[in-house]
Amino acid sequence: MQTKQFSVKVFEAVITDEDEFIAFFDKNYIFFREHLISVSGLVTQRITHYLNEKELRFVVDVNLPRSKGKKSTPSPIQELTQEEEKIPALEEPKQPEQKVHDNLRVIDTLVRSGQELKVAGDLLLLNRVNSGGTIDIDGNLIITQIVEGSIRCRGNFMMLKASPKANIVFHDVEVDNTYLQERLNRVELIDNEIRITPVLKETSWV
Amino acid sequence: MGIIIAVISGKGGVGKTTTTANVGLGIAMNEKRCVVVDFDIGQRNLDMILGLENRVVYDMVQVMDEEVGLKQALIKSKMNPNLFFLAASQTKDKSVLDSKKILKLVTSLSEDFDFVILDAPAGIETGYEHTIEFADRAIVVVNPEVSSIRDADRAIGILDSKSQKVKDGGEVLKYLIINRINPKMVQSGEMLSSEDILEILSIPLIGKIPEDRGIIDASNQGKPIILDPSSGAGRAYVRIAARLCGEQVAMENVELPENGFMQKIKEMFQ
Repeated sequence: MQTKQFSVKVFEAVITDEDEFIAFFDKNYIFFREHLISVSGLVTQRITHYLNEKELRFVVDVNLPRSKGKKSTPSPIQELTQEEEKIPALEEPKQPEQKVHDNLRVIDTLVRSGQELKVAGDLLLLNRVNSGGTIDIDGNLIITQIVEGSIRCRGNFMMLKASPKANIVFHDVEVDNTYLQERLNRVELIDNEIRITPVLKETSWV
Repeated sequence: MGIIIAVISGKGGVGKTTTTANVGLGIAMNEKRCVVVDFDIGQRNLDMILGLENRVVYDMVQVMDEEVGLKQALIKSKMNPNLFFLAASQTKDKSVLDSKKILKLVTSLSEDFDFVILDAPAGIETGYEHTIEFADRAIVVVNPEVSSIRDADRAIGILDSKSQKVKDGGEVLKYLIINRINPKMVQSGEMLSSEDILEILSIPLIGKIPEDRGIIDASNQGKPIILDPSSGAGRAYVRIAARLCGEQVAMENVELPENGFMQKIKEMFQ
């Protein structure tokens, strides 16, 4: 068996007026060619025929799983027809819910061997983590210096430099630190898979 | 009031006691009154390295328990009239130490002396915690190898959280001594460089001491190496003592092998 996981962008519409829907798609279908269109409500034969004709992929009356926190935009069609330029913004991939708000700690002392730094929110650490030191954090983590100790992070992302001696556990998964490059790297958990992306543009304050 | 300095390392065998003896004698040679106190209760060695082994009558625990007066227990060094020594108890163990008694002892010592140097036991147990408890400053001794650095890092962490000065909102000044530097091994990259060590520990450097064959013999003889002007390590201790007494002495690069003519001849006969 071969399996694969990936994310798709979904455009959802609850149809109440056939003509309104078709008029909207006539204008905007070009934006939705890479989307999965989920339609519900008044889905007539004319609409399915229309969508097939435009070669758009769609599903009817399917209850799609979604991450929490994304607010449903009431009557999106109406809004979109009025302000077309808003479409890309509305179709951004769903962001994981922000766990903590306004809870950033900035620390510039170094974490020595035997010291454990427990943080409930986000942390910006401007110093090194020495061998034997531990950081345990529920929020997001940015460390601008080298890490030689261990990190337990359960936030949405981490940003780290290359740290070959570090022991990094992100959401109970051990991060292979050979993937960390000699610059800041963004570590995220997307669809139960750890993604490490080097930050291409160096931040000037690091 | 004199300055109370704890000599710490975390790991054992890196040269804490040797450093205490040499730095203490070096300070005394700078015309400052100095007392060295062995806090390694049950495993004292400082008396031997200072050559005062056979002169210990009373120890620190007897002073703390007020069995004898402080003046009776202090031993004057034969090598320098400004240097005094207070021995650790060899028969008791570290559990006899008590914060109130230690405070009383170090306070009365600092009233009489310009420098009070405490030789901490290895490890980070209660004996260590009691040594650093009332220290104003600390000398951290490391060897250029990872286990020594990590243990020192841990010891500094405890110093920064458990000393009375930190609890009162102050800071214990720390000085780093890198001991047993082997120039050849540093050159070939087998030993950690001073830059790496300073980056890890991030405390100011007060001196680097090259590895010296003479140290073992000096310890056996009870004559600290600082008295030997031909020794590289001895000269390094002279510089460190001067720096501690407030003199500006330039750092010497002990990581470069000596390439003199005499060195070549010495090597031929080794």
